[in-house]
Amino acid sequence: MSLIDRRTVVDWLGIAPFMIFALMFLIVPTLYLVTGAFFTPDGSFTFKNIADLFTPSIMSAYWISIKVSVASALGGALIGFFLAWAIVLGGVPAWVRSGLLTFSGVASNFAGVPLAFAFLATLGRTGLVTVLLRDWIGFNLYSTGFNILSFFGLTITYMFFQIPLMVLILTPALDGMKKEWREASEILGASTWQYWRMVALPILWPSLMGTTLLLFANAFGAIATAYALTGSSLNIVPILLYAQIRGDVLHNPNLGYALALGMIVITGISNILYILLRMRAERWQK
Amino acid sequence: MSFLVLENIKKSFGQTQVVKDFDMSIEKGEFVSFLGPSGCGKTTVLRMIAGFETPSGGRISINGKDQNRLKTSQRNIGMVFQAYALFPNMNVFDNVAFGLKVAGKPKAEIEARVKEMLSLIRLDHLADRYPYQLSGGQQQRVALARALAPKPQVLLLDEPLSALDAKIRVSLREEIRQIQSQLGITTVFVTHDQEEALSISDRIVVMNAGRADQIGTPSEIYNHPATRFVASFVGTLNMIEATVADPAANTVNVGDNVVRLRESVGALRAGDKLSIALRPEAGSLSENAKGDTSLTGKVVSSHFLGSVIRTKIDVGGNRISFDMFNAPDAVMPQAGETVTLRFNASDFLIVRD
Amino acid sequence: MKTSRVLAWIAIAIGAIYFFVPLIGTFEFSLRMRRGEYSFDAYQSVFSDIQFQQTFGFSMLMALFTIIFGMLLVVPTAYWVRLRLPQVRPVIEFITLLPLVIPAIVIVFGYLRLYNSSSWLPFTGSVGGTNTLLVLSYMTLSLPYMYRAVDTAMRAIDVRTLTEAAEILGAKWPTIMFRCIFPNVMSGVLSGAFITFAIVMGEFTMAALLNRPAFGPYLQLVGANKAYEPSALAIIAFAITWLSMGLLQLVTRFSKLTPSRP
Repeated sequence: MSLIDRRTVVDWLGIAPFMIFALMFLIVPTLYLVTGAFFTPDGSFTFKNIADLFTPSIMSAYWISIKVSVASALGGALIGFFLAWAIVLGGVPAWVRSGLLTFSGVASNFAGVPLAFAFLATLGRTGLVTVLLRDWIGFNLYSTGFNILSFFGLTITYMFFQIPLMVLILTPALDGMKKEWREASEILGASTWQYWRMVALPILWPSLMGTTLLLFANAFGAIATAYALTGSSLNIVPILLYAQIRGDVLHNPNLGYALALGMIVITGISNILYILLRMRAERWQK
Repeated sequence: MSFLVLENIKKSFGQTQVVKDFDMSIEKGEFVSFLGPSGCGKTTVLRMIAGFETPSGGRISINGKDQNRLKTSQRNIGMVFQAYALFPNMNVFDNVAFGLKVAGKPKAEIEARVKEMLSLIRLDHLADRYPYQLSGGQQQRVALARALAPKPQVLLLDEPLSALDAKIRVSLREEIRQIQSQLGITTVFVTHDQEEALSISDRIVVMNAGRADQIGTPSEIYNHPATRFVASFVGTLNMIEATVADPAANTVNVGDNVVRLRESVGALRAGDKLSIALRPEAGSLSENAKGDTSLTGKVVSSHFLGSVIRTKIDVGGNRISFDMFNAPDAVMPQAGETVTLRFNASDFLIVRD
Repeated sequence: MKTSRVLAWIAIAIGAIYFFVPLIGTFEFSLRMRRGEYSFDAYQSVFSDIQFQQTFGFSMLMALFTIIFGMLLVVPTAYWVRLRLPQVRPVIEFITLLPLVIPAIVIVFGYLRLYNSSSWLPFTGSVGGTNTLLVLSYMTLSLPYMYRAVDTAMRAIDVRTLTEAAEILGAKWPTIMFRCIFPNVMSGVLSGAFITFAIVMGEFTMAALLNRPAFGPYLQLVGANKAYEPSALAIIAFAITWLSMGLLQLVTRFSKLTPSRP
C-alpha cells in the first residue's frame, strides 16, 4: 500500500476548484484585511490601529451601528415572534399562514436601495402616510420631530426585512413545539401564563435569542439601505468604511483594515452565538 | 359505588360521529382498558374524560361531580401520553415536581413527594438527568411519576407503551399495574394491543367504530365474545362456517362432521348458515383425549413457533388453527395427514354479529 | 381559547399594515409625477431612460454569468463531497456560511486591496478584469444560497446510490454528471438560481465600489437626483423580487413530481 493512495489524491483534487475559489475570493481577502489591521503603512507590526479605533468619532460610529442593529433586531424579533406565533399556534386559517410565509420570503430579500425609496415615499415629508395623517386626522407627523432620515427612521426601515426573516426562521421552531407539552402542562394544573413562563418560553429561548442575534448581525453589516436613506448623515460603521475605501478619509489605510476587523469580530461573535444556541435548541426538540 | 361515570357520551367532528352512545361506570381503584383498532374512538373518549375534547352529548362525572363545566386544569386528573411529553428544558426532578409547583405547594413538601415518586419508579439516581439523556422506557416511567405526583383522582394512559420495544413493553405494563394497585388509583388505559389489555386489566371495554361492543373481565371477553368483532379482535379465534342440521337437536354440519352444540341455535332452521367460533388451544389431537365432540379433517401445514406448535387443519372448507404446547416428545403433524380434533361441545361459541 | 384567536388576528393585522402600507405608499408616490393627477409618467420616464436599459441589461448579464459559473462550481463540488469526501462536509458548509458573516463591504474592500492594478493579479486593471471580479464577488455573495439549495436537492435524491447504479450500467463520469445528476437536482439548481438573480439585481456595495455600471448604483443615483422615478424603480425592483420568489415556489412545487423518495 503506497503512502500516497492514488484514489485519495483524486478525491482531494475534486474539491480543489472550490477551495481555490474560496481561498482567493473569500478567505484570503478577509485575512489580508485582518492582518493588515496589525501593521502600519510602512510595514511594521503594531497595535496602534486597534487602539485608534477607540477614538470618539469611530467609537460613536460603532455605537450608532450597534444601537440601530439592536433596535431593529429587537423590534423585528418581537413583531416577528408574534406573527409566527399567530400563524402556527394562533388558530388562523391555513391560507394566512402560507400567504405570510410566501410574502416573508420575498420581503426578507427586498433590502437595499429600493427599500429606502419605499420608506421615503411612505413616511417622507410628502409621503403617503404623512399626508394622510395630516389630511384625515390633522396630525402633523413632522412637527413631532419625527424624520424618516434619522436613527428611528432607519430602524423601522430595517425592520421591513428583519420581521420576515424572524418569521421564516421561527416558524419551524414553533412547529416543533409538541402539542403534548401544552396538554401535559394543562392537565397538571398549569394556566396558560404558567405554561408559557415555565415550559414554552424556556424551550423557545435558544431559538429566539439565536435568531435575534442573527438579525443583529444582519443589520450590522448592511449598507445599501442606509446609504440610500440617510446618506452620510447617520455615521454608521459600514458608511464610514465606505467613505474610507472611496477616499481614505481616515488618512491611514491600515485604520480602515482595523475598522473592517472590528466589523468582522462583531458579526462573527453574533453568528457563533447563534450557531451554539441553535445546536442547543435542536438537541431539545428532537 | 361508581367513581367515574360516563353517561350517553357522544362526539362528532363535523359530519363524522366518532363516539356513539358510550356508557360506562368505573369503580374506585379499578383498572379499566379501552381496547380497539385505530380510529375506533377510544382515544377520543379518553380525551373527553381529560377535558381536551368536549362531548357533543352526555355527561361525565367523577366522584359524583359533573365534569362538563370544569377546565382541564381544574379536574385533578393525571395523564400519560404515548409520546412521553416530558418537558425537555427540565430535568427529571423538575418534571415530576411540575404539578406540585404549579399548585403552589411549599418547597419541602415538593421535595419529599418527588423523592417518594422517584423511588416508586426506581429512578432516584436519575433525578438530575434531562429527558434526552433517558431511554424511552425511563422517560415513560418519569411521565408516570409526574402524572401521579399531584395525587390525582383518576389516572389516564393513552397508549403509553406503543412507542417502546417489545421487551420493555411487557415489563413496564406490569410495573404500571403494580404501582396502580399499590396506590389504589382509578385508572383508564387505552391500547390497541389485546395482550396488554388482557394481562393487566380488571375490566376491558372493546370498542368498535365509536361504540362499546362489549364490557367485561378479560376472561369474559376472551372466552365469551359477544360479537363477531370482539371474537376476531381478541385472540386468534377460529371462525367456522357451519350449516344447521337439526334445530331441535341443536346439531350443525361442519363439512362431513355432525356436531352437537350446547347453545341453542334459536330461530334458525335446517340448512341455515351459522358462524361458530373455536379457540385454537381448545381440544387435543391425541387419541386418548376426552371430549364429547370431534372434528375430522386433513392437515394443511404445521408450524413450529417456539413454545407453541400451530397446525392448520382443513375441515369442510374451513381452515382451523390448532395450537398445542411444545414438548420434547411432541410429534408435528404432517401435511396431508388425516387427524381428528377432540374437544367438548361447550368449547363452541355461536357468534352473533 | 377565544382570546388567543383575537390576539392572533391583531398580530396578523399589524404585520399586514407594516408590510402593505410601504408598498402602497410607494406605488401611490410613483403615480404622482404629473401634477394634479395620477399617471404612469414616472414609469415611462424610467423605461425610456437609456441608463436604466443599460444598467438593467448589465446586471442581468452579470446575474446570468454568476448563475452559470456559480453552478459549474457548486454542483460538482456538492456532488463530490457527498460521494467521496463526506468527512469534509462540515468544513465546506462552514465556508459557505462565511459570506453571511463577513459583510459584503469587507469582502470587496479585500478585493480592492489584493487585486488592484499594482498587485500580482491585477483584476481591476482593466474593464474586463473588473467585470470578472464583479462576477466572482457575486458568486461569493450567493454561495450560501446556491450551495444550500443544491445540497438539499442532492440529499433528497441520494446521489451515492444513483451514481453507483449508473456506474454499474457502464456510464462514464461526464454522462453521469450531465444525464443523471444535473436533471435530478434541477429543482435545487433553479431555486439557487432565482435567489441569486434577486440578489445580483439588487446588489449595490460590490458594484459601487468596483465602479461598474450596474443596476444597484444606478438606483442610488436616481434616488439622489430625481423625485418620482425612485419610487417607480422601487416598485419595479419589488416586482422582480416577487417574480423570482414566485418562480422559485413554482419550481419547488413541481419538483415534487420528480423522483419519489422511499
